[in-house]
Formats: sequence, C-alpha cells, structure tokens
Amino acid sequence: MEVSLSGPKVIVAKLKDSKVKRLGFSAPGFGYSGSNFVDLGRKCRVNWVGLKAIRAQVAVEKNNAPFRKEKVQSQTPVELLVGLPLDTVSKSNTINHEKAISAGLRALKLLGAYGVELPVFWAVVQPNSPHEFDWSAYLAVADMARCAGLRLRVSLNLNGCHRPNVMFPGWVLQAAETDPDILFKDKSGALHKDCLSFAVDELPVLQGRKPVDVFESLFRSFSSTFKDYFGSTITEITVSLGANGELRYPSFPPTTDSEFTSVGEFQCYDKYTLSQLKQAAESAGNPLWGLGGPHDASKYDESPNNSNFFKDHGGSWNTPYGNFFLSWYSQQLLHHGDRLLSIASNVFGDLPVQLSAKVPLLHHWHEMSSRPAELTAGFYNCAERDGYDAVTEMFAKYNCMMIIPGMDELGSNPESLLHQIKQACEKHGVQVSGENSALVKQGTDNFGKIKENVQAGLKTFTYQRMGADFFSPEHWPLFREFVRGMERSQLDADDLPEGNGGGVSLSADSEAGNNREMQAA
Amino acid sequence: MSIVRWKPLIHQLPLVRNPSLSLREQPKRYIRCCPKNPSLSSSAGFVLGSKPDSGRNLRPIVEAKAAQSPPLSQETDLISSEQFTVNRIKKTYGKVSVKLERRCGYEARWMLEVSCDLVGKWILHWGVSYCDNQAEWDQPPPEMIPPGSTVIKDYAIESPLNARSEGQSESAVQIEIDGDTPIGAINFVLKEEETGRWYHNKGRDFRVPLRGSSEDEITLSMKQSVSIWPEAFDQISNMLRKHEESDPAPAPILEDNSDTSSKKPIIAFHEDYTVIKEEPVQNSMTVTVRKSDKSSDKNIVDVDTDIPGHVVLHWGVYMNESKNWHVPPPPYPPATKVLRKSALQTLLEKKSLGLGNRGSFALNKEVKGLVFVLKLDEYTWVNNMGKDFVVPIENSTSGHEEKIEEKPGTVSSTDKSVDTGAAPYTENLISGIRNLVDDISSHKNKAQKTNEEQDNILHEIEKLVVEAYRIFKNSSVVEKPDKSVDDTSTTPTQLVVSSGTGNGHEILCQGFNWESHKSGRWYHELGEKAKLLAELGFSIVWLPPPTESVSPEGYMPTDLYNLNSKYGNIEELKDIVHKFREVGIKVLGDVVLNHRCATSCSENGIWNIFGGRLNWDARAIVADDPHFQGKGNKSSGDNFHAAPNIDHSQEFVRTDIKEWLCYLRKEVGYDGWRLDFVRGFWGGYVKDYLEASQPYFAVGEYWDSLSYTYGEMDYNQNAHRQRIIDWINATNGTAGAFDVTTKGILHSVLERCEYWRLSDEKAKPPGVLGWWPSRAVTFIENHDTGSTQGHWRFPAGKEMQGYAYILTHPGTPSVFFDHVFCFQEEIRRLISLRLRKKIHCRSTVKILKAEKDVYAAEIDGKVAMKIGPGFYEPERGPKNWTVAAEGADYKVWEAS
Repeated sequence: MEVSLSGPKVIVAKLKDSKVKRLGFSAPGFGYSGSNFVDLGRKCRVNWVGLKAIRAQVAVEKNNAPFRKEKVQSQTPVELLVGLPLDTVSKSNTINHEKAISAGLRALKLLGAYGVELPVFWAVVQPNSPHEFDWSAYLAVADMARCAGLRLRVSLNLNGCHRPNVMFPGWVLQAAETDPDILFKDKSGALHKDCLSFAVDELPVLQGRKPVDVFESLFRSFSSTFKDYFGSTITEITVSLGANGELRYPSFPPTTDSEFTSVGEFQCYDKYTLSQLKQAAESAGNPLWGLGGPHDASKYDESPNNSNFFKDHGGSWNTPYGNFFLSWYSQQLLHHGDRLLSIASNVFGDLPVQLSAKVPLLHHWHEMSSRPAELTAGFYNCAERDGYDAVTEMFAKYNCMMIIPGMDELGSNPESLLHQIKQACEKHGVQVSGENSALVKQGTDNFGKIKENVQAGLKTFTYQRMGADFFSPEHWPLFREFVRGMERSQLDADDLPEGNGGGVSLSADSEAGNNREMQAA
Repeated sequence: MSIVRWKPLIHQLPLVRNPSLSLREQPKRYIRCCPKNPSLSSSAGFVLGSKPDSGRNLRPIVEAKAAQSPPLSQETDLISSEQFTVNRIKKTYGKVSVKLERRCGYEARWMLEVSCDLVGKWILHWGVSYCDNQAEWDQPPPEMIPPGSTVIKDYAIESPLNARSEGQSESAVQIEIDGDTPIGAINFVLKEEETGRWYHNKGRDFRVPLRGSSEDEITLSMKQSVSIWPEAFDQISNMLRKHEESDPAPAPILEDNSDTSSKKPIIAFHEDYTVIKEEPVQNSMTVTVRKSDKSSDKNIVDVDTDIPGHVVLHWGVYMNESKNWHVPPPPYPPATKVLRKSALQTLLEKKSLGLGNRGSFALNKEVKGLVFVLKLDEYTWVNNMGKDFVVPIENSTSGHEEKIEEKPGTVSSTDKSVDTGAAPYTENLISGIRNLVDDISSHKNKAQKTNEEQDNILHEIEKLVVEAYRIFKNSSVVEKPDKSVDDTSTTPTQLVVSSGTGNGHEILCQGFNWESHKSGRWYHELGEKAKLLAELGFSIVWLPPPTESVSPEGYMPTDLYNLNSKYGNIEELKDIVHKFREVGIKVLGDVVLNHRCATSCSENGIWNIFGGRLNWDARAIVADDPHFQGKGNKSSGDNFHAAPNIDHSQEFVRTDIKEWLCYLRKEVGYDGWRLDFVRGFWGGYVKDYLEASQPYFAVGEYWDSLSYTYGEMDYNQNAHRQRIIDWINATNGTAGAFDVTTKGILHSVLERCEYWRLSDEKAKPPGVLGWWPSRAVTFIENHDTGSTQGHWRFPAGKEMQGYAYILTHPGTPSVFFDHVFCFQEEIRRLISLRLRKKIHCRSTVKILKAEKDVYAAEIDGKVAMKIGPGFYEPERGPKNWTVAAEGADYKVWEAS
C-alpha cells in the first residue's frame, strides 16, 4: 500500500489491495459475477464531506494476487443492502442531499454493506413525453455507488409514490384527465392517481401507445444507458408490478400509502376492468355476476367481521359467486405481472443481473379464514386455497427473485404468511430476498426478528431506508449493532478477535512487522 | 523541551479551604535524573529493547482530548510536541454542620443553623413537617422564613447560605424557631447552585427532629448518623452525593425540661455530615519529543502536566503501526514498576511548589511511539477520549508520507503546511482506509487484527454517519416523516436498549379488575381473550400480582417466590404469558415492592418475620413504621400502613429483589413491570431494579392527591405532576408513571363541564403528558379507582370522552379491563385510528379549543378530536378531514 501526500490538499492513496472484507454479510472477495478487475485503474473523485474543498483521489485497484483462503461456510452469507432515500433524485432530475448520501455510502461500505437500493421513478425519467428519457441524475448516483465500491439494486417504479410526492409523468396524468378510467377506481368512484388499471395494459391509452409498450421502451432505455454498470455495479433490477411497486392492487384508500393496515376494498370499478369482468361473467354463464364487485364487502376501514362478504362463517367469499369473482380478480393481477415480467426478462434477460419483483406481506387479518386483506390486494389465498402457488410459479417462469417486505414484522400472522410464501418459493425454486417495512427505532425485538428471518435463508436483505432518521442517534447505533451482530454470528473461528489484552505470540508479531516493512518498501 | 500550560481559571485548588484530592498516598519514589537541558531540571533516560510483549487494554474512567499543539519553531532539535487536555474529577471534602440550639438570651426561641464549609453557592431547600413520623413537607409559618428566601413549590422554601464573613468559604443559614411551634421536624436537602447538584442524605432528606418524643427517637437519630453506606450512590451518575460520617456525632443532649408548655420540649441537636463535592477540572499535559543531543540514536520524550498530586505514567511503547503495547526489557528507569510484563508504571517527578508533575524518557530510534495512560490513584485513570494517549516518534529523516502512515489522529506541530481544520480529518480518512486494508491484508495472522484497528474503522464510520445525519436533517428538500422530537429530554435514555418505555407506540390493557380473583382461574379466562385483545390493537397487557398474598387480590404479598395465587397457579401463569406472546402482546407483571406481609411473629409478638425463600427479618423493615418494629433505616418514601414497609436501603434486600425480578423475567417470561405504590420508596432504587431486570416496559403507580381549594380542584396542577415527574426523574427515566394528574383533571372537566382545564397556562395538556409524554401512562380507571372498589371513579357515562382524549393524545394509553368490554367497538375504532395514524407517545398536540363546553385538539396534524357538548369542526383547508369515530360528546377526525 502506498499513501502519499501530493500537495497540502490532495492526498492520493493507492491501495494495492482493495479487497474489502464485508463484515458478515458476504464472503470475502467480490462475489459478483463478471470481471475480476472492476474499477481497474479507474480514478474516482470523491468529495469528502465536511472538508473545505479537500479532495481525495483514491485509486482503487483490484488485487491481482491469487485468491486467498476461501472460507467454507455451510450457507452463502446474506448480502446486506440499504435503500437510498426515495427522493434521492428530485422531480427536477437533480440529486438531493448528495453530500450526505456520499458520506452515508462510505459509512455503509466501511460497515460492510454489500450495496444500496436505488428507487427510480418513471416521472423523473420521462417527465415530458413518452419519447424522451433523462437518466442523468440516476447515472450520477450509480457513479457514486460505484466509487464507494457498493453494488446497486435498481428499483424501476412504474407507479407513483406519495412520499415523496412523485406521481405519474405529466403526460400520463394528462391522459388520465381525458380518460380517468385508465386509473384504478374504487367502489365509491375515487381514483388512484398513482396506479394505472391493469385492464389498460394492452390498450393504446397513453398518447396512442399501450402501457406495456411504453414500459418496454423505458426498460430498453435503462438497459442501454446503464450498460457499463451491469454486473459490476448494478447487480439487480427490481420491476414494479403494481401499486407501491409491489405485485398487488391498490386496495388501500387512494390517499394513503402502504402504511394502511386495514382490509381495504376491491378495485375493479374503472370501465375497462368492469367490462372485462362483464365478459368473464358472461362466459361463466352468469351475467349478473359481472355487474360490479362484491356488494357486501366492507369499507376500507371497517372490520371484516361485520361484513357479509368476509366474515369467517357463511361469508359470501365462500360461495360460487365469491369463488368466481376472486378467481377472476386474482387472475387479472397475475396476467398483469406476467406481462411485465415477460417484457423485463426479454429486455434484461441477457444481462448479468438478477431480475426481481416485490410481493407484499399482507399479514393483517391473515388469521381470518377469508384473509380479507390479501383478497382485496389480489391474492386469492383463503383458508383452503394457496394463492401464492400461481404467483411463485410465475416468478419461477421468468427466473425472477421474489422480494418480500415485512421481515421486521412481529407476531404469528406475518410468520405464518411468510412461511407459506417461502414454501411456495421453495417448491418452485424461486430465490427469496427480504426488506423491512419500517425503520426499527426502538427495542431490539424487531432487529431480532430480522436477524432470525435473514438467517432462515434469504438471498439478500435490503434495509429501508437511508435518511435523517436512519442516521439519527436513536436509530444508527441499533442498526450498527445489528450489522455487527450479524457479523459475529457469521465469522469463522479464526476471524474472531483475540480477547482483550490477550497475548499475541511473538512469531505472529514479528511476522506482522515484516509484512509492514515489505509494504512500506 | 517542556511546555507548561497553566489553566489557572479552571484549576481552583488554591481557593478551596479544605482541599483533598482523592489520591492515594504513594511511596515517595522519584525519578533519579541527570541534567539534560537548561529548561528541564532533569530527565531520566533508558534504552528500550526490541523484544516486545503485548499490552493490555485499560479502562480508565477519566478522559482527555488532544488539543492543538503550540508552534515551537524556535527549537531546532524538536521533533514534535503535543498538548492534551485532561479532564478529571476533583473531589473536595467538606462538612455540613447542623446545629439546633437555644438562642442566646431568649428562653423560648431556638435557632437552627445549617452551615457548610465548602466553597459554593449553597441553597437550603427545606420544609417542615408537623407530624413526627411522616416525611411530609409543609410550608413553614412566614416568620420562620429567613430573609432572601424564595418559595419554590407550595411545600418548599429555598434559603441561600450566606458567607459568615467576607472572603470566608464557610457559609451558613439560620432559621429561627419558636419554642411553642407545633412543628415536629425540619426536612432539608442542599443544592449547590453553580453546579446545580443536589446533596441528599443517602438519597433522602436530611431531617432535624425538634422534639425527641421518646427514647426511640433519640436512638433513631443516632442510628441514622452512624449507618452510612456511601457505595449505594456510586451508581447515581448524574448527581454526586456522598456523605460519610466524619466524626461520631455527639449524642443529642436532652434539654432540661424547663419548658412549661404542654408540648414536649425542643431538644438541642448537632450533627456533622461529610460531603464530597466532585467537580470536573481541566488540566493539560504536554508531551514533547526531541532529538537527544548526546547520541543520535535516541529520542527524548518529555512529559509535563499540571495535574497536582501523585501522577503515575502507565506506559508502553510500540514498534509498529499496530500500536500494541510492548514493554522493553530492563533496565528500567527509577521509580518504575513492571506490571506483569504488559506495561510499566513510572511515578512522575513533582515540580516545585507542588504545581504539577513531569518526567523525561530517552527512547531509542526503533521505537515508533509511546502509548500511555495516567493513573492518579487506585481508582482514577486518565485516558484520551476513551483511548490510550499515543505519542508517535518520528525520525527526522521521515517525510510527510510516513508521518501520515504512522500517526493517524494526531497532529504534529511541524506539519504546518496542512490546513488545520481539514488535516486531521483527511488523515483519519486515510488511516481508516489504511487500517481497513491492513485489516484485510493481515490474512495470515488474523489474531493480529486487534480491537484497536476495528475501533478505528468504527470511529471513522461514526464520523461519516454524524456528517450524513447533519446534512439529511438540515436538508429542506426532504419531506420529513411525521415525527416529533420535542421530547429532547428523553433522547439520551432512548439510546439505552432497555429504556423501559417500549417502542413508543404501545397501547396498554389492564387485564383484570378487583373481582378477577374470585373464579380462581383468571389466567385461564383471560387467556381466552388474548386473541381478541390483540385484534383490538393492544400491545401490552398488565396482569394481576402473581405472588402468594394475604389478600386475595394479590397486593399483600407474602412469599415472593410462591407464584400460586387466586388468579391461578404458576403453570397457568406461564401459559397465559405464552398465549399473549403468541399473539404479539407483551406482558407486564404487577410487582409489589413497597411492602410485604410477614408470616410469623418475632419473640415480642410483632409480625415481622418473613417466610418463604426470602426469609428476611426485622432488618428488612423500615424503622419509622411503629407497628412492625423494623430495624432497618428510615423509609425513603411514604408509608403504606397496612403491612411492613420494606427497607430498600438494605443491600441484601435490593439484591434479593433484583434476583427475584430477574427470576420473574426468565421463569415466567414477563416483559416488564407495573410497580405498585412507588410513593413508598425512593425512585433511585427503582432505577436500580430496572437496570438489573431490563424490562421492555415499566410503569409505576405514583398516586397522591391533586390540589384543591375549598373543595374545588385548582386549575394549576403543576405541583402534582411535578411530584410524579420527580419520581420518574429519580428512576432516571427508566420507568414511566401513571398520569394521575390527567385523570384527576378529566374528572373535574367532565363532572363540572369545564373543558378549559384541559389546556395549561402554556397551552399544553395539563397532565404529565404535557410535560413528559413519553413517560406518561394515561388511564382513566383502574382496579382501585373503579371496579367494585370505586375509590375514585371516573364520571359515569363519560368514559368514552376520557378514552377519546387519551387514545388520541401522546403518552401511552392504558385501557381498563371492564371498559374493553363495555365500550368495545368504540374503543376498537379509537385504537385502530391511533395505530393507523401512528400516533405515539411523543406525538405533538396542538390545542385548538379549550372552552367551557368544548375541548378540541389536533395531534401530529393527522388526527383532530373534540370532546364536550360544544361545537367544533376541523377547518376545511388543505387537509381533507373525515370522521373516524364519534359518540356521546366526542368526535374524532383523520386527515386523508
């Protein structure tokens, strides 16, 4: 290693060995596919936060030396990622709080994180027309991650988001103004302004283009813009398959977001969905079933116990009509997912990246036989019917990894639902990754739960998400201890530090001295 | 070359009349020195060998930080000089003297004098008690109040101690007492105003009994003066209060019974208490490295400090970058001890006038640096911000490159070209990277990877994190998540893993009422409702007291380890805890620590021998409870008269209780505690218990009366909530407390239709939840106030208004068992709203209306509520408000 002062304000550090041991979350060395010589000779400029115009140029070179001892471990360690702020890139396509993110990336790297997740919003990339793309700010973020030596999981959000308030691109909103029915509509006629109806996927509703085509060109543009990053920096692409970036209907009230924990409502009242329902009912030989969604389902916040549709005993979910409607409703979701995954795997299939998509963990009300919260979101997963089998099969078909949020949720409901989904994944050979639903601000139980889930065989785990709260003195120490705790549980015996003040053998000592002399030479 | 930096302003020794640094006397051994330099009287030289040994980590308790080094351009042979600031605690012993004597020349006038011979602005915080056995505080009659006093609370007076004469450190205050006064005793504590520290008597008030009522009283006061155990307060970090008995106090002298009044005569009283004032003192320490002018292969290290007393340098050297401690082979310099081959201890030479210490060492050139800490006495170590002091030694040939490699985190004075603000930071970054790389490259001997290197990386990470936090926080672009941080006082305790306050979003259910014991299978019955309670949204359930008890309800415990009660046996208890766990509800155990019922009589027929595994005797009972002839110390709180009050000042009692709580945590699986009658003993003990048992959530019952004037409740209940907050403070915030103030105020509000009471003078909620919301457990009813006892029943028919208030407001709401079923749907809706809108114990309240017949508030901008018959509707505006719940005289909206 060489460190030299090339002037009072510029320090150049050449690290012969940039092999950074990740504390616990992955094996030593760079475990990604592709070149062994990433960043070779590449110089990246890092603005050290907090220094008055001090720049450090760090040239990172990959160690040419033959691979050292590989650790033999029974299972691949989980790769830890941390989500970047949702507003990392602003609506006007600039990076928000760049310095903070840059310091944060460095800290995460030193702590041993594998990478970060970057949320990409459609409205930022294509603000003006379906023909123009602006990836500049996202490219800059990818560069920051690359300089920090972190991998990147890119989430392509095709829906809007309430926090930060990033909705659809203006031209999509205009299309929705002329024809509000391209958006999801609930029973009372309220529109979901952040989610296109699944029924218009293949209808030319966006300036004469089909949404699927628009998405495909978006994917292609992403693929060509970031071609230098795939495999090395970008290792995973997550495609949003519905509301909140998850495979689901927006069954929550139009003005809230994923924090909604009640049952919700069926979303099938836009004219395109209604017409598809009508067709389905007619071909099922019962046209009366096609007039609308269940009339006796509960309102967003109502207890499902009081609703005729969802109640455990004698609820209409468990009737031929219920079966018809729920099958059709969940099938529409699957078709939508299939369409998007098919496009994505078509575009990204040959890249050295993992394709993934999110499936929500709708554990609220899971204890009821009807599983009402899952039904309204589009998972026909009642007491005696496995709604996740078909979903997982679809993931398997496109070799898509499944990301399940809610790894921090405590209680028996999340546990049993998670178990069910994982079993389906195992059956179909689908890899599972995890996320948490919320920052763990207090107490140790949630981190304990995450740890438990992570150790139960996740491919990666993404902790959501970076921001002021994440780095706050209330939260950061907990997170750091969580990461270090993971490290301890995954270290080999010879990795464990010697006890405090324990004697270091003379031979080891003198050898260390030699090493250093050689390095200094 | 030694640089001596004096900090006379901070270093206050000469001002103290009776100073005594708590330094252990050391055998007088000095470094034998030979003259070396005109400015240095002497230096000791010795040569270091090259066979190193490993060092050990020390955990000193005093910290220091490196200061910018002074420029030393005039010295040609100077290599580097570094000055450290050393923060340590100075202890000063002093005497508080309490004298009660007849005033000269007046037959019926008495004078109480409290004096203190320590420098400082001392304040006597005092009150009187009219009845002998109570530790009550009352306002004294106005003629007793010395001039210059202020009335602090409605039960205390603060009188400053005035210097006896100009320039003298001793100060005193006199209180005149009428011989006929009905006052039984005077209670006080001392406050030092400059440091804001309180000086208690073993965590309790100092107490001056005016009249010895019997032989008992005298022995009591004698006993109190002798039985002192200062170690109990080592754990109280915030307030430093130590008292030791200096001289045996003269026995109180019985006055001649010449007083003709019917009252017992006033008895003269004189006692001295030792106080230790501990204050942070800043000293400096300079370490200079220079070339030896004699031989070229040696460097001289001079150490110079203004720390007075004996200073022992506990040191080692390092030969490479790992900075492991090594000890050279002999010969050692004089006055040096070898500590098990891991470090050397050298007593520094005292400078003339006793104003500091210094030493000088010659080290040969292979040595890359000196590592050391200072030892001031057996218990006092000084380190450098939690790390060893590191003084790198460079050879003059080395350039910048090497310097940076070798001494991360330190600044060399010769390194002037580097921008001062940025340089250490950059160096740290580089060193962080370097350490990381070193860390990785040392693959062959992982054992070499020391904790120190890991610490460096972690240190680096923390720096970056602080930076990131600062920018994120100040970034106006970020749409802030709805979270209030007004509760800054609790921030430090939140860092503790077990703050005893849950996750902030807790909702409590009291899982029993006064009749629950009757079926004999309550655990079973309640267990069946676990799922319902979970579904309603409760996160914590409070179970009845689990132990064997004289009364069936469980509040008169006997054998603490017998967990078979009228509610069910231990197996059923474990079963119900398990059931609640399964549905995600935490479980609080109701622990009665204030009192315990005896199982047998002592020889003289008093019930004060305890049975079961904790077979305590009269020593465990407080001395001021006449019914049970306790032989312990006096109570640190109020007495519960129906059963022997436990003396928590006894160490064996505390040890037993801690063990018991841990047993309950482990064996039964309780997640936390509801602490019964905590008025009965000092909150500091509770802190001790909670730290030992690490509960997830803990809440204490501190229930005393609100203030009333002519039967009408006062608007201002600040004194009442202050008493509850004082208790929480005494527990160091490890526990919350039931918000009795809010309940009391709600009573008046609802009974008299006076909703204006719900806004205090600062337009905040008037209860504990207005002052310390994260520690307030709000409730409207419990097994004592309501149920079949009805000691203080919530206004009938208005319960839902109460719940509409507490379930929408900050604090941790608690719902009484009976109400869960009486008002199930209404409560379900409110809880669901609270969870949906993520209202938590620190949410912010904006009071919109507090009028005669209506109270309205907005919480976190997400929930609006009103109670009372009057009109309120949220404004139509940017927020779209929809009704989330409504009922008799209440309505709640949510913003969508």
